[in-house]
Amino acid sequence: MPEESILSDDFVRELMNVGDVDIVVGVPTFNDARSVGQVVQAVRAGLLKHFPRERSVIINADGGSRDGTQDMVRAAAISDLSVASDVHALRTLHSISTQYEGGPANGIAMHTILAATDLLQARACAIVSPESTTLEPDWMERLLRPVLREGNDLVLPIYRRPKFDGLLIRNLVFPMAKTLYGCTVREPYPADFAFSGELGSQFLSQDIWNQEQGRRGTELWMTLWAAIGKRKLVQSFLGTKTRREDAPSDLVAAMRETAGTLFISLDTYSALWHLTPELLEVPCLGCEPSISDGPSRLNRKRLYDMFTFGVKELDPVFLSILTSPTHDELKRLAGLPEEKFTYSGELWARTVYEFAIAFHKAIIGRDHIVQALVPLFRGRAHTFLTQNRDSSPEQMESKIDLLCKEFEQEKPHLTELWDGGK
Amino acid sequence: MAAQDGLWYKDAVVYQVHVRAFYDSSGDGNGDFRGLAQKLDYLQELGINTIWLMPFFPSPLRDDGYDIADYRTVNPTYGTLDDFKAFLEAAHQRSIRVIIEMVLNHTSDQHPWFQESRSSRDNPRRDWYVWSDTDTKYKGTRLIFVDTELSNWAWDPVSKQYYWHRFFSHQPDLNYDNPQVREEMWDIMKFWLQMGVDAFRLDAVPYLVEREGTNCENLPETHEIIKDLRVRMDREFPGRMLLAEANQWPTDLRAYFGNGDEFNMAFHFPLMPRMFMGLKLEDRKPITEILKQTPEIPENCQWCLFLRNHDELTLEMVTDMERDYMYDEYAKDKAMRLNLGIRRRLAPLLDNDRRRIELMNGLLMSLPGTPIIYYGDEIGMGDNVNLGDRHGVRTPMQWEGGWNGGFSPADPEALYSPLMLNPVYGFQAINVQSQKRFEHSLLSWMKLLIRVRKTTPVLGRGSIQFLYPANHRVLAYTRRLGNETVLVVNNLSSKAQAVELELKEFRGSILIEMFGRNIFPRIGDLPYLLTLGPYQFFWFRLRRI
Repeated sequence: MPEESILSDDFVRELMNVGDVDIVVGVPTFNDARSVGQVVQAVRAGLLKHFPRERSVIINADGGSRDGTQDMVRAAAISDLSVASDVHALRTLHSISTQYEGGPANGIAMHTILAATDLLQARACAIVSPESTTLEPDWMERLLRPVLREGNDLVLPIYRRPKFDGLLIRNLVFPMAKTLYGCTVREPYPADFAFSGELGSQFLSQDIWNQEQGRRGTELWMTLWAAIGKRKLVQSFLGTKTRREDAPSDLVAAMRETAGTLFISLDTYSALWHLTPELLEVPCLGCEPSISDGPSRLNRKRLYDMFTFGVKELDPVFLSILTSPTHDELKRLAGLPEEKFTYSGELWARTVYEFAIAFHKAIIGRDHIVQALVPLFRGRAHTFLTQNRDSSPEQMESKIDLLCKEFEQEKPHLTELWDGGK
Repeated sequence: MAAQDGLWYKDAVVYQVHVRAFYDSSGDGNGDFRGLAQKLDYLQELGINTIWLMPFFPSPLRDDGYDIADYRTVNPTYGTLDDFKAFLEAAHQRSIRVIIEMVLNHTSDQHPWFQESRSSRDNPRRDWYVWSDTDTKYKGTRLIFVDTELSNWAWDPVSKQYYWHRFFSHQPDLNYDNPQVREEMWDIMKFWLQMGVDAFRLDAVPYLVEREGTNCENLPETHEIIKDLRVRMDREFPGRMLLAEANQWPTDLRAYFGNGDEFNMAFHFPLMPRMFMGLKLEDRKPITEILKQTPEIPENCQWCLFLRNHDELTLEMVTDMERDYMYDEYAKDKAMRLNLGIRRRLAPLLDNDRRRIELMNGLLMSLPGTPIIYYGDEIGMGDNVNLGDRHGVRTPMQWEGGWNGGFSPADPEALYSPLMLNPVYGFQAINVQSQKRFEHSLLSWMKLLIRVRKTTPVLGRGSIQFLYPANHRVLAYTRRLGNETVLVVNNLSSKAQAVELELKEFRGSILIEMFGRNIFPRIGDLPYLLTLGPYQFFWFRLRRI
């Protein structure tokens, strides 16, 4: 493999055989054999149903699976070699798979897919998560049509999620992205999304692919980059999204991908977020209520315990990161019994901002800073669950809006610290 | 012509021509047999070795001659029976065989048989056609001319019954349950065979017999009739040939070959639109898939391939999705659509793109079957969709840039059809005379193509194996006959393509490009890498030296 290329020679040979296309559907995977087959079948059905005339290819960028993930993707191909296929298609639908080096890392997968999209001169690229088991064929239309037919640059999803899914997005990513950059999209860190070939080429040409954002949190970086660049964004309601029951839940990794990426962005866009951002209106196509009722699978008691334990265990770390009032308040909270425990939005916003400053100043190792935010987030999640236990979806939306306001109100605190105070 | 080789039709390159449209020797505005005979040298030079004549019988011409009013003579507009005989003899002298039309299924309503039949219910010929008191029989039968007909039954006000017609209502179907009809039709065929015609194209064969509870197509009784005709023809006129016009799926068509005892040849209707589809999609899948679905046929039988003909580009044998695609890509103007098809000639269909025209003709000449060239397509003639029905693809042959395009000395107003006049396809731009002058004209290239095809029997008689390279824009196959192998590689794409061909089986062979006779590298162990320009194709002879 050429040293400077993300694409292996074998993969390039496969791309050569595909030739130029209209649509790329990228599927980043790592040991997803249990669900990827179902997802890819739905993608294939969606392409055949909604884009039968477009040249399409499904590209799987795999991080080194050993469970047959790649075979399941390849099986989705439709060609004149298929024997007794029950699928009728006008043209060949390629489905190819490559293993990238240095994985697993979603950013490298994204880089691979972007490079392939660029080489194939695709007009549109959709990325789908191999864990999106609720993905329906119509999602392809909802993701790709706004790019192909309506000239949008980036299509972000809106899902109908169970009430307490996406807590990190709702409590951290969404309010922070909105406050700092005016980015009002509900899923700024999308699992399933689409973009134009042109925007894909611009992503590809950015100097991030050897940096942290180029390894993880890349999708969030892409959203922010497009929003800040005032590209034409649109949200598209896809449908219900649920997590796979057996999907691994790694909050530390998620915190790295989200908070880590946001904190890095503060350095990049310092001049921008110091100003009051103009809110970016992002229309929503086919939007329906995005929160569905349902029982929470989260154990609040456990969240509370992990918070109090974390505050105790990481006190020296917090002392170096947080201002005294914030540190004291957190210590006070950790001493409260669960029934009296409330991690307010205001305090949470201050906490996040102070972590961002610590990250900026690299007071300690940046990864340690991000990891240290995890137990505090659990405390915030506990409060969010408690406050919304009986909320209707509309009431919950209001509370998320309120949280955004608290992030805005606390923004001067961030600015002040950034500009030299402590 | 002597029938030295009973399988001559496998090596044939057929030229389809309408007498009326080719050359007018009498100056009345209509082509005629004397005119056609005068142009035989042109056809010989083109390289074709078989002529297929569209109907030339007396007819009210409400379906361009497929509505026959007398089967035993020539429409006086086109000359006399003697003129036909002279033409036939002149063609044979040039080793050109002649296929004529035989419309078995129906006659014109002006045919004396029908006039007698309708004259009264007691007339001896009453039972020569299919009559009914109701129009509800054979309900399961589809309508073919959906744009013009509302029913397969038409009311006859004279004898006050309905008569059956699968095509236009002025074309009543003959009743093949009547032995007299069968005998009479054989007698007519014998009449022409005795004169020396080499083959018949039997029109609309699937519809000869009707049975309640069926779709009245491809019935066993129909096959029996064909078999009977074939037995008689082989016995009395060995070496002659029957060609089926049956617009059916390959599996249904297969039955018309029987055990090699029905038709010698049949048109491969479903392949043709898929060639256009594959070209537009830049994907070989439509072509390879339909050929994979095409069953083996008996050794003495052959498919007949064509790109365009006198009818619309039929889209009956495609799915709804495919039809929509074809309409959108090849007939954006609704005036170009007729029935379930597209009434356009080859060159306009392909946007007059010389590379695509060459590629499609290359496919026509290299896929398994006997190729048919529709008159005028060898020079890239255009069409006139304003002429109604399918007349737009039946305009006069364009011989030169002068008066009436050299077709006729008559006043232009007297021509059977207006000439093409537009600056792109008009006779002043597209004509034989100007194309003869240039080595690189389409006409010159077509001559080369036919000449190269005729250098080997493999393309006419060989088997086919597809190669399926990973690059789906490339359609590659080998044709084999005995020890001889031809490799055909076609780039269906508008862009240059690289392709790796798995040719290990031929390791050690040298590729000789058949048009320039240039040598290409020897085949080794690695996949054979070729690069092809937009719409380029190669024919290679594989030689072990």
